[in-house]
Amino acid sequence: MKWLRTSFGAALLAACLDQAAMATTQNVIFNGTVTATCTLVVATNGTMMVSPDLQSLSSHNSGGSAGTVTLTTTGGVALSVDPVTTTTAPAADATATTWTPTYSASGAHTIVETGSATNLTVPGASLVSVNLAGTKGGSNRFASGNYQATVTLRCE
Amino acid sequence: MTLFGTLAAALAVGLIPVAASAQSMSPMRGEVNSFTDAFAVRVFPANPYDQKIKVEIHVYDQDFQPVDARISPGVFQLASQASRPVLVVVPFGGAAERKVRICTESIPFPNQQTQIKAQICGKFFGHRKS
Repeated sequence: MKWLRTSFGAALLAACLDQAAMATTQNVIFNGTVTATCTLVVATNGTMMVSPDLQSLSSHNSGGSAGTVTLTTTGGVALSVDPVTTTTAPAADATATTWTPTYSASGAHTIVETGSATNLTVPGASLVSVNLAGTKGGSNRFASGNYQATVTLRCE
Repeated sequence: MTLFGTLAAALAVGLIPVAASAQSMSPMRGEVNSFTDAFAVRVFPANPYDQKIKVEIHVYDQDFQPVDARISPGVFQLASQASRPVLVVVPFGGAAERKVRICTESIPFPNQQTQIKAQICGKFFGHRKS
């Protein structure tokens, strides 16, 4: 009888083990696509100061400051600045000014100051510094009054 | 272009628009097949700032010359952290295909000495199917 009980118990255990062995697993697959994106957040505008010889009005001059922009991207985009087309000058300034926008970046993207387009291949966030310099040639000088210029920073 | 043409072009969009959050514009790339004389793209400009900003949508060709596209709406105020759809209908102008840039532009802090205009441009390629 004892032998019979042991055999029955063993058979029952084996059956339970078989049930456990029949359990299956299924993978749940998640897909996601990250498309190329670029975010520009202007933190501060720049300030231009005039040089002692009055032939340069620039954010590089003493007392001037660059504009700052936070860039966040997936990569696969290009950063550039447009030639400056929108400016205002005091009425006393009737001579031509050459405007040169440039930018540099630090962080995920290291860009030495340039005015040309830069391909951003890697993802990440960077701080972009935007500078603007206005210059006059010959005997021309900047006049007293308010100057204003708009620099277009493009991510595409 | 007729209203029907516009609607047909809108329906012919091959893109799957994805709502954006904290992005300046989405999507930034796309190819569109259209059976009409125009193709349509729906983009989602977003405002990542903590303040309301004025947003303008412009369409340019590959040489950054303006394209006579229908933009709805072309200029609007966008609340902080908000996003909204903008429908852009671009005529083929007789061509079989057309590449355009759709750009979201804003000057978040106007009336400063040196203003920075942030411009996010997406590149879109329209194919006209017969």
